Amino acid sequence: MVPERRRPPEASSKSSCSMMSESPRNRKPDLPFAPFDSTNLWCGDRHGRSFLEFSPPLVTQSSGLFGPDRETKSKKQHEPSPVDDPVMDWNPRLMLSNLSFLEQKIHQVQDIVRSIISHEDQFLDQANELAAQQQLVTADLTYIIIQLISTAGTLLPDIKNALLSTNPAVGRPGSNQKQHEILPVEVAKASQYDSLIKDLNSCGGKEDELIKCSNNSGVEASEPIPIEDHDTKDNDDGMDGENLPPGSYEVLQLEEEEILAPHTHFCLICGKGFKRDANLRMHMRGHGDEYKSPAALAKPSKEASIEPQPLRRYSCPFVGCKRNKEHKKFQPLKTILCVKNHYKRSHCDKSYTCSRCRTKKFSIIADLKTHEKHCGRDKWICSCGTTFSRKDKLFGHVALFQGHAPAIPMDDAKVLVTSDKAQVSEASSGMPGNMGYNFSGNTSLDAQSPDIKGVDDGHGCFSPMTLDACNIWGLAEFPHSAYEVSESTFSFLATGSCSSIQRNGEN
Amino acid sequence: MERAPQQSSDSILATFSVDLLIQILDRVADSRDRKSWRQVCRGFLHAEALRRLSLRVLRLEALQGLLRRYAACLERLDLSACPSLDDHALAAALASGAGLWRLRSINLSRASGVGWRGLAALAKACPHLEAVDLSHCVGVGDREAASLAAAAGLRDLWLDKCLGLTDVGLAKVAVGCPALEMLGIKWCLEISDIGIELLAKKCQNLRVLDISYLKITNRSLQFVSSLRKLEDLSMVGCSHINDEGLQFLNNGSNSLQTVDVSRCENVTSSGLISVIEGHKYLQDLNIGDCFPELAPLFLSKLNYLRDSLTVLKLDGFQVFAPSLKIIGLNCRNLVEIGLSKCKWVTDEGVSELVAGCVNLTTIDLTCCHLLTNKALVAIGDKCKNLTCLQLESCKLITDNGLDCIGTCCSNLEEIDLTDCTMTNAAMKYLSRCSELTVLKLGLCDKVSDEGLVHIASNCKKLRVLDLYRCFEVTDDGLAAIATGCKRIKNLNLCYCTRITDLGLKHLSCLEDLHDLELRGVHCVTSLGITAIANGCQHLTELDLKHCHLVDDAGLFALGQYTKNLRQANLSYCQVSSMGLCNLLGSLKCLQDVKLVHLTQVPVEGFESALRASGGRLKKLKLLTGLRHLLSPGLIQMLQARGCRIRWVDKPLNLVP
Repeated sequence: MVPERRRPPEASSKSSCSMMSESPRNRKPDLPFAPFDSTNLWCGDRHGRSFLEFSPPLVTQSSGLFGPDRETKSKKQHEPSPVDDPVMDWNPRLMLSNLSFLEQKIHQVQDIVRSIISHEDQFLDQANELAAQQQLVTADLTYIIIQLISTAGTLLPDIKNALLSTNPAVGRPGSNQKQHEILPVEVAKASQYDSLIKDLNSCGGKEDELIKCSNNSGVEASEPIPIEDHDTKDNDDGMDGENLPPGSYEVLQLEEEEILAPHTHFCLICGKGFKRDANLRMHMRGHGDEYKSPAALAKPSKEASIEPQPLRRYSCPFVGCKRNKEHKKFQPLKTILCVKNHYKRSHCDKSYTCSRCRTKKFSIIADLKTHEKHCGRDKWICSCGTTFSRKDKLFGHVALFQGHAPAIPMDDAKVLVTSDKAQVSEASSGMPGNMGYNFSGNTSLDAQSPDIKGVDDGHGCFSPMTLDACNIWGLAEFPHSAYEVSESTFSFLATGSCSSIQRNGEN
Repeated sequence: MERAPQQSSDSILATFSVDLLIQILDRVADSRDRKSWRQVCRGFLHAEALRRLSLRVLRLEALQGLLRRYAACLERLDLSACPSLDDHALAAALASGAGLWRLRSINLSRASGVGWRGLAALAKACPHLEAVDLSHCVGVGDREAASLAAAAGLRDLWLDKCLGLTDVGLAKVAVGCPALEMLGIKWCLEISDIGIELLAKKCQNLRVLDISYLKITNRSLQFVSSLRKLEDLSMVGCSHINDEGLQFLNNGSNSLQTVDVSRCENVTSSGLISVIEGHKYLQDLNIGDCFPELAPLFLSKLNYLRDSLTVLKLDGFQVFAPSLKIIGLNCRNLVEIGLSKCKWVTDEGVSELVAGCVNLTTIDLTCCHLLTNKALVAIGDKCKNLTCLQLESCKLITDNGLDCIGTCCSNLEEIDLTDCTMTNAAMKYLSRCSELTVLKLGLCDKVSDEGLVHIASNCKKLRVLDLYRCFEVTDDGLAAIATGCKRIKNLNLCYCTRITDLGLKHLSCLEDLHDLELRGVHCVTSLGITAIANGCQHLTELDLKHCHLVDDAGLFALGQYTKNLRQANLSYCQVSSMGLCNLLGSLKCLQDVKLVHLTQVPVEGFESALRASGGRLKKLKLLTGLRHLLSPGLIQMLQARGCRIRWVDKPLNLVP
């Protein structure tokens, strides 16, 4: 297959070479796009450069020039290679006979054209004769083209296969420049075959139009599209016929399997699901020509705004659900997405658990993701356990219910602070020894410190700070306090006079 | 010696039963007499313990023992003088006084070491708790509020400047204590409209609400206006509140009597008019520093409050004579008027005012520079019940003006003559006011000993005497004061440079002296300080800045005797490390100490002295230079115990 692909350029170059001798004479500066000159013009241009010099823009231009290519193809068919291709299911013998017939026909046209050239001066006088000659050539060429196309039509699947097989080669660094150039030509050809055949068929025997068509397509690749546009309008009209009568809506009930399929875009005809709308639209083409038009393939937004869509509502397949059409107070779902979300949220297991809070579960992964965005930010918690993302909501809740109050989460920061404090006090309690002071006042107070400890143990939570408490009592007592007995020391008593202190001590 | 009184007390107890003793005790009102009672014998002490309802603890170490003794009957406990109180101390104390069943009120103001554990223990131990004061405990937040909320019977709660308190904490309190009647959340800057809304919904019994300086908007007032029992609303400095908010108070659905909207920048006359219209029985209106000029409509609306309004404060307004006349006509029952820093207050205006408001007892005319003796004559003529007169910076007033006041206003208790050109003659006139308790003579440099002798001769009840920069005052003057005014509590002698140790020796007989300022009295030495320390053992604040002659001996005396000293300024004194260590180590109540430019104290001295203070300090002022010389561990320890260190960078200036 691949070797065969490589052949056409060589063949075409041969053909162009064969025609080259006439081209300089044939060319008329004032009529560059004259029907008969088109091929020659192309050949002359092409001759001026080597193949390697071809730049991409020219490639696209050349893609439309299937006239000469067809010739090359007809020529290539003389070579015996196609037979060994297993994919092709056409009759090579029939093809061969066709091609040889075409060859004869081409020779005839060549002769006519030669005769025109040789009698060029005479024709200047006899315009009628020239016109007749031209008409003859046109008719012959038309016939050739039709034959060629019908012959090539049998090759169509082959071309597609060839494209698929050769495409990877395009990107290869060492790939042949020629091949690179040729492939687009054939791609364009393949895409245009359909339309071209259609055009030719519809045009029938009207030669002028045909020439025009072939000419146009030969010169500009973009030309065929307006013709297709004409077709789309017809298709659109045809689609209108499928619309439902307005006023009542149509209830559609998808099956569970469809709903749970991992897709969001569903074919309204067969129910097949797709991840992307574009894919669905491509799929829709398979349901008929009316879906093939560019308008149908285009994004649906424009279309929707122009034409009012029929009311279509959806029913949940779960019997007994309010969203099920059997329900008394049936409330239909608006879109297929609604159906999907409703069914999953209401009738399916919640299999997605938030990894952070490990309590919230969801059946739809998007819900989980939404939750995860806010999980942990629900810092507004009520004493009843309800969480809120906003403070005012929590306070509204608290105001509404008797006995509810905002909850304060146990923050670890405070625990850290207290432990720091304890450490600091530890450091400071070690200080008096370093300073060498004698804190004799500790003696009277030592008796009390076990009490404090006892209290601390009873309360539990105070135990880490016991050191701190001792510190307050025991630290930095100066000798003066030795004769103070804490039991009977009244802070509001005068502490100055010795007599009162003695009396206190006695008490 | 010990046994004899014991026996005699037994014999007394044999005749007087405890019931009788209590009956007698109930008739002993004075705290000093009660103190003597306590010292009689064990039986008397016991009887007193049974009748003791309130207790103010000055030193933390005594708390446990005191509670053990008094727990049974105690209803009010004041721990605001023990700033080093923390959770353990509180919990230990509560455990020792296990039966604090009657405790209704506790004051923990400035006890910044108390956390949620302590408060939870408190709420658990005292089921009848009704009032808690946690103001200025800057560490109190939502968790502490939640602990407090367990005390469901709470009626009064003061949380001023609890900086950590948010809407959540407020909601906790609002839900937990629905019986709340008084609530102060001044300076709790985190509280917003949402919190106030919930509070208003949950605590319908609120009578007194202080929401000053909060960042609340008009929306809060909408909910506050629904509090039917609200009587007192303070919203000083709520800059987000404007007239629209005050219009919510127009409906008169609450029973407001006191409204304070001073310093609310966006409040104008029209907002106040709506308040007045809504509340016919408004008694107290403070609109100081709101807007510059009084609108005539507002003044005429005061007529609505003709019978009720007793207090009107107009600080910082432009008040012309006609305005004062209208006020005088409309507010016949006015008892107190504040015209501090009002412009254009003239003699004429004051005359018109007092002509209408004869019941005025308190008149604040601070910085009304235009006033002369005529105004004083008018006041003396009309306001026979005057008790308080503020005349600071009224420089046109002379001695003769006070003649009238002294003769006519015999009930005068408080007069501020700071920066007025008074002489000894004025003191003579003032000495007729035997009820005088507060006398401020700062910057009256013509007042001398003679004047003080006049004062001392008759003003026995004087409690506060301010002689700031009265250069003429000498030791003799102080001797007179010390003999005549035995109850002086606050004495300011700053820059009275002629005072020496002898004067202080005279002062040492003032047993009630709490606050003594000797800044810049550079003749004073340690001898004088020792005398003061020995005699004035209730001293809580002492300023010795620039007393260059005071050395370690003075500090030793202070450390030994003034056990209640809480604030001390020792900057520029010639003290050494030893004295400083002794002072900081032995004074258990010392919270606030200023130690700038102690040139004799090396870094090690500061280090050891501050360590000796054992983390009791709450405020400390030091030179910036020490910041990096002191060990980081020490600074860290101090700060962890709630000490705020102010680093100052001043050049050493020996001349004050």
